[in-house]
Amino acid sequence: MSLSLVGLGWVTPLGSTIEEVWRKLLAGASAQAGTLGDSLGEKSYRAFQVPPDAIAEAAKYPRLRRSSAISRFAVVAGLAALRDAGIEPNEQTAARTALIFAISNGGVIYTKRFFHEIIKSGAQAASPLLFPETVFNAPASHLAAILGITGASYTLVGDGAVGILALKMAEDLMANPELDRCLVVGAEEADWLLCDAYRKWRLLRAEPPLEPFARPAKGMILSEGAGAVVLARAGDLQLQRVHPGGNFARQRELVRQLDRIGREIKNGEAPDFVIASANGTFIDDAEREVCASHFPGAAVYTPKPALGESVAAGGIWQTICAAQALRRQELPPLLHAPGELGLTTARSPAPNKWRRAVVTTCGLNQQVAALSLVAR
Amino acid sequence: MVAAGVVSPLGAGLVETLASLRAARDCISPVERFPVEQCRCTTAGQVSDEALAGVLPNDRKSCRLHRASRMMIRALAELLEQAPDFQPELMVVGTTSGGMSFGEQYYRALQQSDARARHLPAWIANYPPQKPAIDALEACGLASPCQVIANACASGTNAIGHAFECVRSGRYQRILTGGYDALSELVFVGFDSLQAATPEKCRPFDNARNGMVLGEGAALLALENYETARARGAEILAEITGYGISTDNHHLTQPHPSGIGPRQAMERALQSAGLPPGAIAYVNAHGTATPFNDAAEGKAIADLLGRVPVSSTKGMMGHSLGAAGAIEALITILALRHGFLPANINFRAPDLELDLDIVANEPRATTAGTALSNSFGFGGANASIVIQALAA
Repeated sequence: MSLSLVGLGWVTPLGSTIEEVWRKLLAGASAQAGTLGDSLGEKSYRAFQVPPDAIAEAAKYPRLRRSSAISRFAVVAGLAALRDAGIEPNEQTAARTALIFAISNGGVIYTKRFFHEIIKSGAQAASPLLFPETVFNAPASHLAAILGITGASYTLVGDGAVGILALKMAEDLMANPELDRCLVVGAEEADWLLCDAYRKWRLLRAEPPLEPFARPAKGMILSEGAGAVVLARAGDLQLQRVHPGGNFARQRELVRQLDRIGREIKNGEAPDFVIASANGTFIDDAEREVCASHFPGAAVYTPKPALGESVAAGGIWQTICAAQALRRQELPPLLHAPGELGLTTARSPAPNKWRRAVVTTCGLNQQVAALSLVAR
Repeated sequence: MVAAGVVSPLGAGLVETLASLRAARDCISPVERFPVEQCRCTTAGQVSDEALAGVLPNDRKSCRLHRASRMMIRALAELLEQAPDFQPELMVVGTTSGGMSFGEQYYRALQQSDARARHLPAWIANYPPQKPAIDALEACGLASPCQVIANACASGTNAIGHAFECVRSGRYQRILTGGYDALSELVFVGFDSLQAATPEKCRPFDNARNGMVLGEGAALLALENYETARARGAEILAEITGYGISTDNHHLTQPHPSGIGPRQAMERALQSAGLPPGAIAYVNAHGTATPFNDAAEGKAIADLLGRVPVSSTKGMMGHSLGAAGAIEALITILALRHGFLPANINFRAPDLELDLDIVANEPRATTAGTALSNSFGFGGANASIVIQALAA
């Protein structure tokens, strides 16, 4: 079965229209880090946050009045992807659209507030308004309601690989001829608590820049936002293969898993470029190794130094970057990478030469997946 | 379905579960894992620590794992005893909160500058919702990729339904599916804050029902393409023959009173199975015993299926959220294979607004084999599967 990406939308710390953010990435811009503090600890953290004007459209929807930031990001990105695909949300289109939502940390801001009230004042102080927004599928529910989807709506949880796993699920769902398209959305919101957890796990860096492929790994900068893509059966950007990957119990197994996935997704046909998930952590070395061994001539790019690590949204952002680079035949500069990288970082080929892209996503919690995309 | 494993308040394993079902046992007990004095509800269906002891040869490693991981390992080990060669191409499971209680412990430790801070990295590493599924695969030597669905209380049925569609489409031959969830304070207090939990007994479809009790557990089903399972001589315990999913956009926590969401899910499941409503001989209802949910589901069942026998087994074991659909599918299969319909316990008086044939308080003998199993959740998530159980 052949599926194509026919619509793209994102909400990022650099803005929320595909072309605006892409222009900034091409110009070598990176998001400005804000400071996150909390009464829970003296330490503050730096994270890339979505500017309020990037989600101004969300104010139009009364359903989002009490919702968390993650739901607003998702709705704005989802609507943008449908617009990009030329699809008017109405009863007819909604009936033939499935929604798949990828999430990792979920509505952490409201979850923290809800639990804080329980600890501080006891169970009787728990807010019945907050609790429903803490449930993993709340953002998908808001988006489905705004679009009028009454059929298939799934929320998938996982780590940084969950965006690609959601695309795999979309591929499986599209075996159903009653569906014309799948809207796949990945979203995340940043919070002090997440930063603190990642720091205690020794994966977070105190200050930008996020330096991909550095040795030793220096840590990531967390970010937030959403990415959305529309999949349909016909289009110019064909989803050639979505590899569901696997799981790695130990970090050293990641290299073995990624090697297998790299070999299988290459399938005798070298990609022109790779959009990696390198984020300044242990996964960078594994991706560097697989790029060097399986995709030696391919240009390598990761958007994470510019946009940060947005976990579930990250895999969709990478996919959007791959689609944009195939559409525009140009890659943004790889920011803050070491000089002696040993990988190709060419930004632009001869006109219309790039045809095939690979996206690799390695999560920090044991999941890994990949896909290949072809321009027709 | 060629093999299965389960752990729930009804017992550890299929044999104990069947015995509890036959006895219509009330397995609800006072909550002991976290403080509940300020809650309206103080009871839940709980999996005993004994049931989860020794799930790994290395007891120290086992202790570091979340209870949900240990439940999943226990269920998967039982499944693989029946089908040691089962090599799934994909795992599709449901959950709502995964290792949530580790997140709670982490937060409390931060609040209290707790001396247990050395545990923080382990809590973080074992907190993610997908971790129990990955832990189970690793513990049992399986290496399939994993899709973890979090569609609130419909997650388990959604997982089975999606796995069924994947196999039926011919894209996969073997899928491991099911669901898991462990009790957590945040979720328990959350339902209590909504006044959705009862201070009394959970009485699904009863006239005086006033809320649910929560539960926990894990159940896994080995799904295999019917023809290949037959060809290799596997014992087929049941067939999943239909799946329906619907999304009710009425409200984040309440179903549309007309029952349109549950009705669409059931209609689509029947359509998927190619069956008329009259073919359904039993409904294992979602039946949380909350006034609104039971009213919407009961109306949908009565309108679509007439006076078909209906029971909710949540009175016996509580509502295990992301695990519920998987456990209840297995309960349906076990009961039908052994010739009875499971009981809807704590039932005293019918709700006169609902024209339902409730399997009240005692199991009922049957020769039926075709059933619907329903699960509905927050966010308007509705799922139904059609099960054809084969006699034991």
